[in-house]
Amino acid sequence: MTRLMTNLYDSSKCTACRGCFTACKDSNQLPAVFDKSYFGGPGNGTYDSKDGDTDANTYMMIRFNETEDPVDGVRWNFLKWQCMHCMEPACLAVCPKSAYTKLDWGATFHDEDKCIGCQYCTYACPFGIPKYRKHTDTVTKCTLCYERVAEGLTPACARSCAPGAVKFGYRDELLEEARIRVKFLRANGFPRATIYGETELGAGTNKLYILTDTPDKFGLPVNPQVEGNTVFWQDWVQPYAGWLIPLALGGSAVSFVTSRVVANKNEEHGKGGHA
Amino acid sequence: MQWIPEYREDVPRVERFNSLARFTHWTHTVTFLLCLFTGLALFLDGVDWLAAIFGGYRGAGLVHRIAAVILTVSILTAMAVGFKGVIAWIKDLLRFGKNDIGFLMVFPLEFLGFKVKIPPQTRFNGGEKMNSVVTPTMVFLLMISGWIIWWPSIWWPGLVRFSYWVHDLAMIFGTLMVCMHGYLGSFHPGSGESFWGMWKGTVREDWAKHHHAIWYEETYGDKAKTEEE
Ligand code: HEM
Ligand code: HEM
Ligand code: SF4
Repeated sequence: MTRLMTNLYDSSKCTACRGCFTACKDSNQLPAVFDKSYFGGPGNGTYDSKDGDTDANTYMMIRFNETEDPVDGVRWNFLKWQCMHCMEPACLAVCPKSAYTKLDWGATFHDEDKCIGCQYCTYACPFGIPKYRKHTDTVTKCTLCYERVAEGLTPACARSCAPGAVKFGYRDELLEEARIRVKFLRANGFPRATIYGETELGAGTNKLYILTDTPDKFGLPVNPQVEGNTVFWQDWVQPYAGWLIPLALGGSAVSFVTSRVVANKNEEHGKGGHA
Repeated sequence: MQWIPEYREDVPRVERFNSLARFTHWTHTVTFLLCLFTGLALFLDGVDWLAAIFGGYRGAGLVHRIAAVILTVSILTAMAVGFKGVIAWIKDLLRFGKNDIGFLMVFPLEFLGFKVKIPPQTRFNGGEKMNSVVTPTMVFLLMISGWIIWWPSIWWPGLVRFSYWVHDLAMIFGTLMVCMHGYLGSFHPGSGESFWGMWKGTVREDWAKHHHAIWYEETYGDKAKTEEE
């Protein structure tokens, strides 16, 4: 297996300049979306975009999470929010068109040409990331700039980040770096600093985070999970229940033959009457 | 070899289904099967040749939706227009009793073609009563869950995820019933005559007497005749 390559986002270094967000739009040629609350939204009057979310033309955004704490006071926790490129992606499992593949270096790749816009993936994703685009009747999401990576470049977000909060490299090396950084942060005023993405969802995600506080303070699920309804659908209904149909067809076929063999002895039934 | 019993005009026949019932039945048969095959292309995780019949996956999705609209509209309209008939149907289902249990006990043998003694039946026999409950229930579940997954964004996300497997399971149980039902209502030598009841509206009088003795007696028997006069 090729060595995994990933992004590491360090929330302690991010200044929320949104350079990555602009670079992402630029690189993927996505239009601005004015009705969305990048800045809290029109009429909202705050910069707190913690309820902001990805949409079909916004693969990635910086979320502002305002937290209040009796000890630390008010804090703004910035979070880079996009597809997490899970190691075992639920979107890939549910997609009836096999539009998703896991690239050998770690990206979860979505092929828009195969997609039919059913949105099963949107509802399977523990982060609700893939979003539906009406005019193409497909969903879209972060590509981890796989074309750029194939050319030996880094993803647009990592390329653009001035303070070095977004990095791209080998996953094992970045994890090592993250451990050292978290240790440092814990000793320097962020006792709850933590790594996110290493073991989340069992196998981890192929986007790594250094958080200065617990995940919930960043609007991230502390224990992300694929919903029970999705698991039941994919692991029980789809693989096993369908066999009942060939069984019923087979039963009818057996009856078709046996009843004709046996019914030859009581002809009048075959004629439909009971004279 | 004979596929279905011959339609005999030279023997006395009695009416079994009126035109509204027949029209609705065949409308939902066609639309159900269209939904089924277009849906299976996805359920089986991308069957390209099946989707190709409908002009690819987008075509299949469109056919699924058009058929779904016709299915929903035709059933709801028929239930409103033929409300009396629906009530009569339900009343017959509520007459489920010993004779129906007797039917269900010997039915497996009859299914395989053996001659068995079946207690007299009302308008719908024990098996048809089961079919009348299970299949329409599955169709209703398919309709409700189908409309939810068609427009997922207006619902609570948990309901959408729930609807996915409800849609699949209802499809499976509905199709299981329809496989048996479609066979019994056509190629099965024992009950094949009922096909003409659904196709032309009438069945042979001797067949009706034999298969639905109680119904025949109450509708066309001597007692019913004297009451009419
Ligand atoms: C009556 C109203 C119905 C509606 C509104 C409806 C709607 C839908 C929708 C929106 C989908 C998602 C796939 C896509 O985007 O094309 C779907 C999938 C499906 N439908 Fe329906 N449907 C209906 C009835 C039926 C019936 C009668 C059957 C079968 C007997 C059926 C079987 C399926 C199957 C097997 C799938 C694929 C599920 C999967 O991928 O596992 N549907 N339906
Ligand atoms: C595949 C081809 C089909 C054939 C040949 C067929 C045939 C018939 C016949 C002959 C009857 C009248 C039975 C009687 O005399 O009481 C009937 C009744 C009925 N059919 Fe179908 N049918 C088919 C498909 C379907 C489908 C797809 C559905 C629903 C999804 C359906 C639902 C019903 C119901 C609810 C009844 C009334 C209850 C009963 O008699 O079992 N049928 N059908
Ligand atoms: S919306 Fe597209 S990518 Fe998502 S599950 Fe459906 S076909 Fe697959």
